Amino acid sequence: MKEDKDKNTVEKIAEVIGVNKPTSRRRFLIGSAIVAGAVYGSSVLYRQINIAEDNNGNKRVVILKNAKGVLVSDPTRCVGCRRCELACTEFNDGRSSPTLSRIKVARNLNYGPQAVQLGFRRGHGKFGDFLVIQDMCKQCPHPVPCATACPYDAIEAKPPLNARVVNTEKCVGCEICQRACPWDMISFDEEADKATKCTLCDGNPQCVEACPTGSLRYVPWRDLTKDFHPRQAGMLAVTEECDICH
Amino acid sequence: MAKVGGWRGKTLRVNLTTGEITSEDTLEKYKDYLGGTGIGYKVLWDEVPVGTRAFAAENMLVFGVGPLAGTGAPSNSRTAVTTIWPLTDPDTFVGSGHMGGHFAAELKFAGWDSIIIEGKAEHPVWLSIEDDKVKLKDARHLWGSGIYRTTAEINAEMGPTAQIAAIGPAGENMVPLSVVINGYCHSAGGVGGVMGSKNLKAVAVKGSGSVNIAADQKDWKELIQYALTLIGSNNQHVVPSTPQPWAEYYDPGSRWTASKGVYWGAANPPVETGFCNPHDVHKIGLRCHKGVKDFGKDFGGTYTVRMGGCYACPIRCFAQIDYPPLEGKYGYSRYIANTCMGWFSPRQVFHEFPEGPEGELKAREAMVLGSHLVNDLGIWDNYALMQKVFNYAATHGMLEKILPADEYKSIPWELWEKGDPAFLLDFYRRIAYKEGVLGKDLGDSTLKTMKKWQIPEDFYKKFKWKYWKMGHPLHHSVEDSGQIGALINMQYNRDSQNHSHTNFQNSGLPIEIQKKLAAKVWGSPDAVDEKGHWTPMNRYKAKAAKWASIRKELHDSLSLCNWMYPWVASPLKERNYEGDTALEAKYFSLATGIEVTEEELDLYAERIFNLHRALTIMEMNTRDMRDQHDTAPDWVFEEGPEPFTPGSNRFPREDIEKAKDYFYEVCGWNKEGLPTRETLERLGLKDVADRLEKAGLLG
Ligand code: SF4
Ligand code: SF4
Repeated sequence: MKEDKDKNTVEKIAEVIGVNKPTSRRRFLIGSAIVAGAVYGSSVLYRQINIAEDNNGNKRVVILKNAKGVLVSDPTRCVGCRRCELACTEFNDGRSSPTLSRIKVARNLNYGPQAVQLGFRRGHGKFGDFLVIQDMCKQCPHPVPCATACPYDAIEAKPPLNARVVNTEKCVGCEICQRACPWDMISFDEEADKATKCTLCDGNPQCVEACPTGSLRYVPWRDLTKDFHPRQAGMLAVTEECDICH
Repeated sequence: MAKVGGWRGKTLRVNLTTGEITSEDTLEKYKDYLGGTGIGYKVLWDEVPVGTRAFAAENMLVFGVGPLAGTGAPSNSRTAVTTIWPLTDPDTFVGSGHMGGHFAAELKFAGWDSIIIEGKAEHPVWLSIEDDKVKLKDARHLWGSGIYRTTAEINAEMGPTAQIAAIGPAGENMVPLSVVINGYCHSAGGVGGVMGSKNLKAVAVKGSGSVNIAADQKDWKELIQYALTLIGSNNQHVVPSTPQPWAEYYDPGSRWTASKGVYWGAANPPVETGFCNPHDVHKIGLRCHKGVKDFGKDFGGTYTVRMGGCYACPIRCFAQIDYPPLEGKYGYSRYIANTCMGWFSPRQVFHEFPEGPEGELKAREAMVLGSHLVNDLGIWDNYALMQKVFNYAATHGMLEKILPADEYKSIPWELWEKGDPAFLLDFYRRIAYKEGVLGKDLGDSTLKTMKKWQIPEDFYKKFKWKYWKMGHPLHHSVEDSGQIGALINMQYNRDSQNHSHTNFQNSGLPIEIQKKLAAKVWGSPDAVDEKGHWTPMNRYKAKAAKWASIRKELHDSLSLCNWMYPWVASPLKERNYEGDTALEAKYFSLATGIEVTEEELDLYAERIFNLHRALTIMEMNTRDMRDQHDTAPDWVFEEGPEPFTPGSNRFPREDIEKAKDYFYEVCGWNKEGLPTRETLERLGLKDVADRLEKAGLLG
């Protein structure tokens, strides 16, 4: 997605995703100008478009500028030490908590993403073929499932990296984003009562720094949503036609 | 003190007889004992009457976890399972089994510091801990299952992240030589039967909470990163096993086995471990290729998928092997993980393997197959002493007389003679199910079996992994660390489970450097000898032995791994290879918010060590600990060339007696090895002094 887009592009997107009624469009333009402008300044005011319903049942369109970085991993090198989870929460939150961690190893450690089932010996993880798969946020391109689902516009692209970040001022802790992420990558901070997710640590991801086998990498963003199976059903489909920003 | 970190503040108590589940304030009741073995000894001291037998309902079982479990302090998450140990004769002595894995951390995330278990359930149960939801659940559908299936069934019920410590048929059948295992292969030796005697099939934990770090997160990160510059390989070996461009020294015995051309060969694609310069933090996890160490470069390099291990430990010491023939040939999964004795003990069931490559392969197949069997059935090996007793009896024609004729005939001896790994399928089944005389005796306290089978004197001399005392083998004794090793091996009622001394002795650095480091920590270069070049006893060695002993308890109580710590040495040339012995105190201070110096934290450890001593004294019920308990086997005095000549591990009796004198002196014990009132009160153990005095056992 280009840095700046003209109105036509925005209109095209709105059309493609089916909110092309004049009233809706006006609503989006005005609404997001205020929201995004207040947070990031006018240069990014196009980025906040909601397609889902907001808290008042109004249809909106959310488009976030593509992220500039993303975490990738080489699971063959992962030894399941969970120092990445530790770094994520101890160095960002001052406490150790695998459920809070935005990189997720624990849940795949024993049996792999398929969890336990008959024949687990042929699955992944410690009880299977030993492969430990790390789950990381894909910093999805439009339509960003978590941001789209949030009725409070609380998930935003935070410059300069445009990581999809939970704005804790706006988050009310409704946990809808948790249900929306096809990869189950949103964590919940019980102490703050807010959702939390990978922020890319402003370009120096703690997990990458901590990994003792170099299994994790921070790389320029690319669209990983196309390369990975979702952990569970319910992934928001990206239609073929939506070729504007993909 | 702003907020106390590290601990979660609550200790769980479960009474299996009444089904009552209660919570205790950890800091109020157990802070002075930290956790781990500390809380274990404390509970036994306070609540279990002297003379209680291991499998009696009155015995208690403490899954002790400490303040550092679940934090980012490298190499934590050890659980100490303390109880009355079933393997001595009589079975009335304190002992603990230790397991790594992810269990300890998970318990902390669930909000609990330790678990105290008492009583006996009416029928098989398992303990389900999901944060503060704690329940005893019916385990009748799991009883009889192996540990693998039990774990999977409970995971299916609780979710895949639950960490499950379960026993197998051996534990259920109260085989004294049995284990509890969490996470596939992390076992705590000797305690499975105690769980079985209580009808407790498994303890399962799942937590969603946090372990707080009291300090500022920047300071914590700085400390962790600093620590990771000092970490060595497994056992804190600080030089590589082969010459490498970055390394000034190398030592073929080192567990730093990564090198160019050394692969995790079964990874897809294979991962080369390569040269792991200590400054490259992203290679720490590749340093220890235990597959190569335990199986040799060919088999280990080819079939290792990756290295695994415990929570928060960047040094991975569990080889995870993919050996496809296991499936077709033996009906077990091709994937198998373990380390050290988990591999070696099944191999030692055999007297010999055929010569040449075929035999070598069979030996390795025995390691991987046997490992599955003991993991699943839940059998312990007593550091392979059991296997050695079997082997001795079998090769000396003793079993023909010991076993009933039918039973003897039913044993597939032809497999054993050929070194065929399939023999193990039969062998371990007998032990787990207490089948016949062989199964029952081999699974029993090795001491009892040795007496019953009348194992003759020469057995005690014959084997490399030698018998020490009270039914256990040596564990890094004189052959490893001279008099320091001897002193350490005398203290416990099982093998000493201490690596503080051996980690340093075998760091791989030249003796001149070792001596400099020793001088810094214990006041004189004479505290350490070059291995195999032992010199007569001196006071500094006694100091080092005391230090090693209390650090062992410190690690087992904080939940740090004593197979990694303490770090007298480091791999860093620019530090003259100096480690940092204050690391534990630094972690503790920042994590808990309770500021302590190294010396202050050592006092906690000394308290715990002395409580173990007091328990043992009460159980021995003798003032003569020196000669009745703190003994070294005869081979120490009789075997090998003249003492103090190069290569000799033989010591004069007077020298070992002198070692005890000095050791008791530095510990503040009297000549009989009894702690004095002054010592106990200095450690805040007045009540212990009172009780010992009342029993006439105070020094
Ligand atoms: S939907 Fe999930 S993976 Fe995509 S940006 Fe949101 S949290 Fe990340
Ligand atoms: S730190 Fe690296 S090796 Fe350890 S669990 Fe995370 S990704 Fe895997």
